[in-house]
Amino acid sequence: MDQVLDRVREGAEGQIDFEGQKLAELIVNISLSLVGAIAFIVGYLQQDIKLALYIALGGSAMVFVAVVPAWPFFKRNPVKWLPVGGGAQVQAANLVVDEKAM
Amino acid sequence: MYSSIVRIQNTFGFFTTVAFCIAALIAASDFFSPRAPTVNSLKTTSVQVVRGRPHYYSTKKEEYAIIKFSLDADLSDLFTWNTKQVFVYVTAEWPEINGGNTTNKAVIWDSIITSPSADHLTNLGPASKKKLIKSAKGKSIDKSRGKLSIKNQRPKYQITHPTGKVASKDGVQLKLHYNVQPWVGPLTWNQDKHIGLWKALKNGVSKSFKFPAVKAKDIPRA
Repeated sequence: MDQVLDRVREGAEGQIDFEGQKLAELIVNISLSLVGAIAFIVGYLQQDIKLALYIALGGSAMVFVAVVPAWPFFKRNPVKWLPVGGGAQVQAANLVVDEKAM
Repeated sequence: MYSSIVRIQNTFGFFTTVAFCIAALIAASDFFSPRAPTVNSLKTTSVQVVRGRPHYYSTKKEEYAIIKFSLDADLSDLFTWNTKQVFVYVTAEWPEINGGNTTNKAVIWDSIITSPSADHLTNLGPASKKKLIKSAKGKSIDKSRGKLSIKNQRPKYQITHPTGKVASKDGVQLKLHYNVQPWVGPLTWNQDKHIGLWKALKNGVSKSFKFPAVKAKDIPRA
């Protein structure tokens, strides 16, 4: 039960890795700008303001769908954390804090 | 962009920016569509002045001018993709003889002409609304709605003056005015001067005429 809840929570939170965040931002900026440009140009050429509105709203909804959930392609570069408790190979040898060696 | 909530916020934030930019572009596109509204004829067909009461229990009697008119105008240029509706109104204007530069001005008739994109917003009964929507089916713009041909139209409003006297006033002229109400952008009025591609309203003033003397008959009021 707890595992199921954890999974639901994880899905709702939708965490992605750093590369994924960069990609998400790029997708949002480029695709929303494109949607806006297309909406205006098509609306102007067709002289139909409702068409422009629907293109803009529909396109924006698609961008939301593409970006908001934590799709797998946002999670292709997970951060590799150091092992818990610092394994044998991890030594805080050269850690310097306030010019004092730890 | 770490979690879904942050992505929703960022995407929506940029969406509002894009929406604002499109709206600004649409508003600006109006300035690139030429307007050349013309009135072919605007003339009175009958003018009478009667005495009546402003409301049923009033003891004061006032003079009311009832101006019937004919109008033939071409305002089809005002209908572009960004036009929501055009408000057309006719005023009667006459100078105040001893009032310096004062001009009296009163609306005698008005009408709202919707664009097909705004037909669903009109204040009409269900049957006539259906008919109106059907009349422009499949069309995003209906320029023919800007062609007005009104014959011997009764005024919507009988006009008077704060003094209650309008009979025998001279130099009265009818004037056509319009408002273009866009979906986005500024409200624009009829112009007296050319502004860019927008020409001034041509021939929008009638010949000057005189209000007749009072008729004995009372204005019928419920």
